[in-house]
Amino acid sequence: MKCGLEIHVQLDTDSKLFCDCPTNYQDAPPNKNICFVCLNQPGAKPYPPNKKALDGAIKIALMLACKINPDVTFFQRKHYDYPDLSSGYQKTSIPIGFEGDLNGVRIREVHVEEDPGQYKPDLGLVDFNRSGIPLIEIVTEPDMRSPEEARKFLRELIRVLEYSESARGEGTMRADVNISIEGGKRAEIKNVNSIKGAYKALQFEMVRQKNLLKRGIEIKQETRAFLESQMITVPMRLKEEADDYRYIPDPDLPPMLADEERVEYIREEMPEPAHIKTDRFVKQYGIKKDDAQVLTSELELADAFEEVVKEVDPEFAALWMRDELKRILSFNKITYKESEITSAQLVEFFKLLLDKKITTKAGQRIIENLPHNPKSPTLIAEDLGLIGVVEEDVVQQAVKQSIEENPEAVSDYYQGKKKALNFLMGQVMRITQGKADPGDIIKLLKGELDK
Amino acid sequence: MNLLEKSELIKSNEITASENLEQYIQEIEKKNPNLNVFLETDYDKARETAKNIDSKIKNGEKTGRLAGMVIGVKSNISVEDLHITAASRTLENYIGSYNATVINRIQEEGGIIIGMTNMDEFAAGNSTETSYFGHTQNPAAEGHIPGGSSGGSAAAIAAELCDLSIGSDTGGSIRNPASHCGVLGFKPTYGAVSRQGLLDLAMSMDQIGPFASDTSGIAMMLDTILGFDERECTTIDWNVPDFTKLNPVDVQDSFKGVKLGVVKQFLEVSDDAIVDIIQGGIDKMEEAGAEVVELSFDHLDLCLPTFYLINYVEFFSATRKYDGRKYGYKIEDVSGEEVLRRINIGAYISQKEYNDKYYKKALQARSIIRKEITKLLEGVDAIVGPTVPKLPHKLGASLEPMEVYAYDVLTVIANLAGIPASSIKAGEVNGIPVGLQFQAKPLEDAKILRLMSAFEENNYYFLKI
Repeated sequence: MKCGLEIHVQLDTDSKLFCDCPTNYQDAPPNKNICFVCLNQPGAKPYPPNKKALDGAIKIALMLACKINPDVTFFQRKHYDYPDLSSGYQKTSIPIGFEGDLNGVRIREVHVEEDPGQYKPDLGLVDFNRSGIPLIEIVTEPDMRSPEEARKFLRELIRVLEYSESARGEGTMRADVNISIEGGKRAEIKNVNSIKGAYKALQFEMVRQKNLLKRGIEIKQETRAFLESQMITVPMRLKEEADDYRYIPDPDLPPMLADEERVEYIREEMPEPAHIKTDRFVKQYGIKKDDAQVLTSELELADAFEEVVKEVDPEFAALWMRDELKRILSFNKITYKESEITSAQLVEFFKLLLDKKITTKAGQRIIENLPHNPKSPTLIAEDLGLIGVVEEDVVQQAVKQSIEENPEAVSDYYQGKKKALNFLMGQVMRITQGKADPGDIIKLLKGELDK
Repeated sequence: MNLLEKSELIKSNEITASENLEQYIQEIEKKNPNLNVFLETDYDKARETAKNIDSKIKNGEKTGRLAGMVIGVKSNISVEDLHITAASRTLENYIGSYNATVINRIQEEGGIIIGMTNMDEFAAGNSTETSYFGHTQNPAAEGHIPGGSSGGSAAAIAAELCDLSIGSDTGGSIRNPASHCGVLGFKPTYGAVSRQGLLDLAMSMDQIGPFASDTSGIAMMLDTILGFDERECTTIDWNVPDFTKLNPVDVQDSFKGVKLGVVKQFLEVSDDAIVDIIQGGIDKMEEAGAEVVELSFDHLDLCLPTFYLINYVEFFSATRKYDGRKYGYKIEDVSGEEVLRRINIGAYISQKEYNDKYYKKALQARSIIRKEITKLLEGVDAIVGPTVPKLPHKLGASLEPMEVYAYDVLTVIANLAGIPASSIKAGEVNGIPVGLQFQAKPLEDAKILRLMSAFEENNYYFLKI
């Protein structure tokens, strides 16, 4: 199969694309963030396009390795009749960037357009708070070969958008998914609002189309809608009856010339995209690609890693940040940024571990206490009584004590019950208050028992 | 007494703004039932504004350049709290929610807005007969159309119902009614006046401009409404001249060193009686020192098709918002014949499959026309000729669309090319006014005003003040 995507995501700006209205449409009561311009009342003309939105689009295009259109850029009017569209046409730019690439998926073009309002058919109401919020649309070539590849691409794309700090992420994503399989025509699936949705829609569509072909039924070119609740697609219309949008250049918005200096400035200032950062982490810090990918999945996490490795061994830090840090973040369902953990806390924490002031076991408990906690890891460890690693003779003493106090477990051990060893280790841990290294305990226990 | 002198009398408290206003209110009450110039008046607000201005003047406070001047506004320019109908049933009950940039500027300068004037429906016409609210009488030639589409604003000046008025000009909609009603009309350079708040006919050609009975009035209004608007992307950021200071021109040397072009094709397409009047006007300017050269414009036959194709497509696009969901009626359900024709043809020719055939060709032709007129203007200060090639027909006469469009042949060039143009009365044929048109290079609006002023001085005897 072949899959191409058209992805819309809101650009992160304070005001709308063609007026001064604020963009917090979800927080505001319905039809509060509106004016005569974004309502397109009779006579209203767009204000000059929001510069932050255009710069953001250029930045994202550059991060997707696009060429920037050196000629004039202009907005077109895309006409269609729907209650959410207050002017009867959508203002949409010609490509700002084109011929890009993200991990082997070619980007056909990137452009800017305005979001329509929100129509609630069941109530017959329209909320125009969203009307005029800037969107970026990213169009790929049909380079994805499976639902998994499409999902992977979308995850990577959302990472790039997050890195750009110019877009709002998956929550505002709307995608059109194009799919065709060998021997059939292309279907376009609309209303896909999440990465999971895109994946499910493609899976469903692949099976549906294969079954049609098996039964010798021709696959027509058509537009289908994805029903998120049921994870299926249903027909919308055949492509032959497709709308004619009657594109014309918008006479109210004169052509703009991309300022070469501006583009270069954006290029220099733009954050390093995740996929490029991953490769650099592998090269520069000698860590595994898998680890690098996890670390670069969040900009703040990647930044913290780079701070930490100024003082801590990169491989050690990568391992802990990938496994234990990510574990507590996902357990708490928060991002690294939301956890409020600082890189200074991490450095101190890793030093406690590397200097053997705490055990691995203790470390796992300490890190669980780091989110939303401004205390230093040393203080946390002291509060929990986890500071210090017990000397070997003390451990040896505890091993002996546990063997003496648990003859049944000892006999179980000799009968080949492996669980018994774990039980004994737990006893040693209890006696040493978790300050002994589990590996050491096992070694000492075995040494004592196998004498 | 010209309009500038009158405004000075108001500012020196020799006449009060309230007296000025009350006199016009009386005239409107007397004449409007017959003329149908104003579709809506707002006397209360006007009286309040006049009172404010008078008290400011009495207290020696600063007032604006239009202080106390009474102003009529075409019904397609947004004024808060007034009915902005564009003379269409579609917007029968639509009340403006905001002020157009020009309205804000007029109010800041102390202008008193008296009401909204009649027009062709959505400005798509040149007779004001297509208004949903009935036709307007031509005060200068009873029984004839006042021209259009800004027929109400032109007639308001001709019937002395206000000091100044504003209209919009897409293919002649200011100059045409100015010509037919015997008043002065001015279409500024495209982008010189903000269109923010002007209801669209064809966005790439629409421009707001003034009507007045003399050039000092035109100058006052140009000084008020011209200038960059950071909230309207097509306005030009330039050094706007001080039109009032340029005015009046010294009569003695008024045309010395001025080179005027006369395009022979413009005369060829015009009625003989009109050509006679225009030729008389040109002769007078020559006597006053102008050098007159003959020019040839080879693409006159391209102008109307080009203009109307662009007009149809842009108008189709502009009217999509009148979908019946927000403003009462869906435009296609209630509009008149001409509006519907433009929407239907616009929808037809903007289809993807015909794009290359019509709209793109029209844009190419437009650039040919722009180049040619620019080339002609390079050698002269201005092109002079008739504003309209025909006399206004009798009210109610039945015309074919192509006959109606033929009125526009001499005015559309300025809109296609974005250049400034004006109309000033040059004479009468059997009592019907005939307008003379000046056209100049982009942003040479001041040059046109000077020529109008000089022409006015030289023809003082028949220009009633």
